[in-house]
Amino acid sequence: MASRFWTQGDSDTEEEESDYDEQEDNVAVETTTATAASRYYSGNASDSDDSDGQKRVVRRVKDKRFDELSATVDQMKNAMKINDWVSLQESFEKINKQLGKVMRVTESDKPPNLYIKALVMLEDFLNQALANKEAKKKMSSSNAKALNSMKQKLKKNNKLYEDMINQCREKPELFEEKVEEQESEDDVESDTSEYPDNLESEESDDEEETGNDAETGSGWEKMLSKKDKMMDKQFKDPSQITWDTVNKKFKEIVAARGKKGTGKMELVEQLTFLTRVAKTPAQKLEILFSVVSAQFDVNPSLSGHMPINVWKQCVQNMLAILDILTQYSNIVVDDMVEPDENETQKGADFSGTIRIWGNLVAFLEKVDVEYFKSLQVIDPHTREYVERLKDEPLFLVLAQNVQEYLEKVGDTKGASKVALKRVELVYYKPQEVYDAMKKLAELDSGDAESGEEKVQEIRGPTAFVATPELVPRKPTFPENSRALIDILVSLIYKYGDERTKARAMLCDIYHHAIFDEFSTSRDLLLMSHLQDNVQHMDISTQILFNRAMSQLGLCAFRAGLVLEAHSCLSELYSAGRVKELLAQGVSQSRYHEKTPEQERLERRRQMPYHMHINLEFLEAVHLACAMLLEVPNMAANVHDAKRKVISKNFRRLLEMSERQTFTGPPENVRDHVMAATRALRHGDFDKAFTVIKSLDVWRLLRNKDSVLEMLKAKIKEEALRTYLFTYSSAYDSLSLDHLSKMFDLSDAETRSIVSKMMINEELHASWDQPTGCIVFHDVEHTRLQALAFHLTEKVTVLAETNERAMEARFGGGGMEGLPLRRKDGQDYAGAAASGGGGGRWQEFSFNQNRQGSSGGRGGYTISGRASAPGLASSGFSRDRQARLGRAYHTGSGARGGQSDGSARMVNLNRGVRT
Amino acid sequence: MASKYDLTPRIAPNLDRHLVFPLLEFLQERGLYPEEDILKAKIELLNHTNMVDYAMDIHKSLYHSDDVPQDMIDRRAEVVGRLKALEDGAAPLIGFLQNPNAVQELRADKQYNLQMLNDRYQIGPEQIDALYDYAKFQFECGNYSGAADYLYQYRALCTNSDKSLSALWGKLAAEVLMQNWDIALEELNRLKEIIDSKNFSSPLNQVQSRIWLMHWSLFIFFNHDNGRTQIIDLFNQDKYLNAIQTNAPHLLRYLATAFIVNKRRRPQFKEFIKVIQQEQYSHEDPITEFLACIYVNYDFDGAQKKMKECEEVILNDPFLGKRIEEGNFTTVPLRDEFLENARLFIFETYCRIHQRINMGVLADKLNLNYEEAERWIVNLIRTSKLEAKIDSNLGTIIMEPSYTNVYEQLIDHTKALSTRTYKIVHQLLENAPGQTAR
Repeated sequence: MASRFWTQGDSDTEEEESDYDEQEDNVAVETTTATAASRYYSGNASDSDDSDGQKRVVRRVKDKRFDELSATVDQMKNAMKINDWVSLQESFEKINKQLGKVMRVTESDKPPNLYIKALVMLEDFLNQALANKEAKKKMSSSNAKALNSMKQKLKKNNKLYEDMINQCREKPELFEEKVEEQESEDDVESDTSEYPDNLESEESDDEEETGNDAETGSGWEKMLSKKDKMMDKQFKDPSQITWDTVNKKFKEIVAARGKKGTGKMELVEQLTFLTRVAKTPAQKLEILFSVVSAQFDVNPSLSGHMPINVWKQCVQNMLAILDILTQYSNIVVDDMVEPDENETQKGADFSGTIRIWGNLVAFLEKVDVEYFKSLQVIDPHTREYVERLKDEPLFLVLAQNVQEYLEKVGDTKGASKVALKRVELVYYKPQEVYDAMKKLAELDSGDAESGEEKVQEIRGPTAFVATPELVPRKPTFPENSRALIDILVSLIYKYGDERTKARAMLCDIYHHAIFDEFSTSRDLLLMSHLQDNVQHMDISTQILFNRAMSQLGLCAFRAGLVLEAHSCLSELYSAGRVKELLAQGVSQSRYHEKTPEQERLERRRQMPYHMHINLEFLEAVHLACAMLLEVPNMAANVHDAKRKVISKNFRRLLEMSERQTFTGPPENVRDHVMAATRALRHGDFDKAFTVIKSLDVWRLLRNKDSVLEMLKAKIKEEALRTYLFTYSSAYDSLSLDHLSKMFDLSDAETRSIVSKMMINEELHASWDQPTGCIVFHDVEHTRLQALAFHLTEKVTVLAETNERAMEARFGGGGMEGLPLRRKDGQDYAGAAASGGGGGRWQEFSFNQNRQGSSGGRGGYTISGRASAPGLASSGFSRDRQARLGRAYHTGSGARGGQSDGSARMVNLNRGVRT
Repeated sequence: MASKYDLTPRIAPNLDRHLVFPLLEFLQERGLYPEEDILKAKIELLNHTNMVDYAMDIHKSLYHSDDVPQDMIDRRAEVVGRLKALEDGAAPLIGFLQNPNAVQELRADKQYNLQMLNDRYQIGPEQIDALYDYAKFQFECGNYSGAADYLYQYRALCTNSDKSLSALWGKLAAEVLMQNWDIALEELNRLKEIIDSKNFSSPLNQVQSRIWLMHWSLFIFFNHDNGRTQIIDLFNQDKYLNAIQTNAPHLLRYLATAFIVNKRRRPQFKEFIKVIQQEQYSHEDPITEFLACIYVNYDFDGAQKKMKECEEVILNDPFLGKRIEEGNFTTVPLRDEFLENARLFIFETYCRIHQRINMGVLADKLNLNYEEAERWIVNLIRTSKLEAKIDSNLGTIIMEPSYTNVYEQLIDHTKALSTRTYKIVHQLLENAPGQTAR
């Protein structure tokens, strides 16, 4: 950027240039300040292009005066650059004249900031020129004369504005902030070099930056302007820097943190500069910690996220911290005790322990949160999102290193927390995605290293405490994600706290479910008793639980376990708030207006797009399962359809679709399933399957063909059952061959299905073995008989109510055995699961007692999964067959309590309908 | 093929070294594996025990030579030396115990006994601990009866509950190895009580102890007369069933077998079928699969095939395939019993869903020939286990449909109500004055 200025200057003093190299660099930067400032004053954005050939535009007098003023300042700068004191003197006189005009126009008694700055600049330059005796000697006589007169004039002049100048020197920001606020965003160079705080503009400049480390690095170097110049001065001579000076400066900077007017970005730069001049490793570490926390401060709001390049820088700093920690194992990081004031004075050769304040885990978690937030905010359909996703290995490597370090130090609790963060980044990835990430990490680290080198080059020369890169910069991944997860979760189960363990367990379940290991993940879920405790956990864990449940449901479906799949998913769909429960978008409800507060909270919980579970697919699976269960169920209970409802949601949809006078061709998932249901109810399995198959969500399945095959078989089976339920009363006998042909099933399958129905007394018939026929018995109750049965049932309920009332009044009385849970007797799944035996719920309540007594809360002590495979706690109780399928309502704030008493249990009977 | 269902590798880790011997003996007899492998396994096993002489013998027969490796000889010397040392350590107490007069002085009060021993015979805690070590060493040497005696006496005197527990384990092992099934059963129950009541440091340990206990108990249950009902009592308890499901699904085989040969266990049996269904994925076993075929899939052809496999499995299982020599031919009682009951299971279920069955087909399904089948069925009908008639002209069995009358059902449903209501009213009247009086 300096080059542009060089070309402008008429270079008559070439040999002198070399002497001023360093100074002039600074000057060049300063010039930009001024130009930028002048642009502000010029007020008209269209005019503020870099080009000097300005168009003539009619302007207000005030503007015109300002323009003149700034033009003069420009002239002065040019003059400074070539060390031309003669023209500088002229300009100085001119600017003083112009000042009078400007003051008149603005009618203020205060000189414009621009002027003051120019004075400051001049003074600095003058001092420099005077200090440089050698250069002075070389000057031409006229030049030297001008310099001397300038000195005197300036002295006299500056006395008038002494106050302002001092102010300007002390707080250049004051003189800048104004500029910054109104600065238009068009000028790329001045923005990046001068106003890193101006985040938006920086981001819009992404084309230039493209997140490249190297370039940001150089950008950073440029940023060490003004203030750092002072620091540079202070620390110009490496030999003069002592621990004390650095420490003092450090304290000073840290004290400025959070104060009004302290540029957050500037703070970071200054601290970064300090890390280079730090005297001892401990000191460097201390400063690095401050750098990182200062970087966290850069992001001003809770909902926004940290700028990506700052994030990356932050990760690099963290890695540097780890480098130091690995190199000097005697340095201990602790956030419990306030360390000694001069602890960091101890040098590299000090052998005792040095305590530094800091908390690696907290930092890492913050880094993770920022990453997560950025993914939430960035539009998932842009390239930016993809780019951002590619940063994941960077975080993983950091997490891995932190974890290793913590393990080495013996902070297992912290290590388990970090391990959880890693798990949470991996658990939702199918093997393909995992492989891709692995490959990316391998490729990427090559690039990163070269970028790294550049950065190193830039800071290289001045760093006193050089830290070699000890910790690996490249994440290592085991061959498959299962192995990685296994290692991590077993660590967490061993050392983690309750919440960490619960989350790890959920991730584990989720991951098993993705990998089609239904039984394993179900056992994990049941053994950990997460279902019982999850409503006491924080919302984000509940969301994770819901996610795991839905993934488990999908897994069950893929495995052909319709009943299980349905019980996993039904709760999610019972309230129609799937989006909210899975945190995949905000659902609008007609009845509850959300306060902005709730809405903001909800927005903050959202899952990033790449972690979403496809909602359409989920719905398709749920409805297909509901259809398979509900259609034969409805056929079996034609007389009192309301009694046994398996899926309320499905029933409602069916009613709605039946109410329509005209049914068009199916459009969405629901329409498809409804169309299939209509076909299935007539026993037309072929049409039902074709309609279901035409859903294009099935393409999301990895083993699409086999799953569809399974679905077809299930549809056939249920069609047969429905047929038998509906039409058995019309037949006296049915031949096996006929049935098999009708439903395209093998004889053995048909026989097995029908036998099952007979045993379960769903079908009153028996086989006639020699002829291969089903002979139906006429045991269908007459209307009168059916009503009589109904009556007895009602009477029983009445008696039970009486007993309960008694019990409530007098307590106990030998009726403990009577179940109390009848009133919400939605034992539908149970009823479906065990055809005849309506006693399911009783069993359930016993189960609970049992589980209570056996080993109490066994917690998640599935410990040692790696070492001793499958050793599980005794907390695992027999209720395995019961209760799977409870999604928790993450209810937003006030509505949480409202989600009624719907914590019903849903039986998951692993078996076939017995 | 036959070794596919051999559970020895899965059972052995849960047994004491010495208890594995009978299993290996059995395998050797059956010839499932090459003889050499088994002998090698035996030496491996013996290396960590003190039965050096035995190991030497095996070594000789394995390599067909009279040379014995030097380390075995060294080990023998070491063992003998250590035995002497331990014997000396425990001598005072053993001397005391062998003196019947002195033993008479012992009373039921443990504290008193300890005090008395200490005062009068100068036998302190060290000597008592020495007795434990000595007993353990005896056990390691294969002197089970001695070990059992000493351990019994040790338990009477010891105060350390942990050591007492391991002494009990030792005693159990010794009794099992001596085939004193009655005493072993007593010890087993004692151990079970301790395991259930004791506070273990972690639930994991408790589960592990239970699993051990179940494995060890297999010896007893399949040899004791009453064992087959007791195995159900033990294994089918919730805690134990959980342990099986989590850690040792192979034990389901034994429970399943016990259920099959025990007819009177219907209610639990239904529950058990559910467990089998759940565990199908984790463990493959013909016997459990047989049950799954009949009660889950209603696949009678499959069940029939499985039955044959089951026979094989039973013959090759060290616990199930116990032989009894009668005269000059051997029988495996459990096999016959199993097959008989399995047949009954198939037939029962089959009959429930049929109204007419061809005898020929049935005979086929039951692995019987026609006459046998007919005799068998006639027997069932005569003992009124089956309500059916044989149509010998057509060669079919005709089931009598048995449906409860609708009216009977209604009466059933309502019968209890009146008594219940009466009870309530009674209670109400009883309580009401009390209420007002208060």
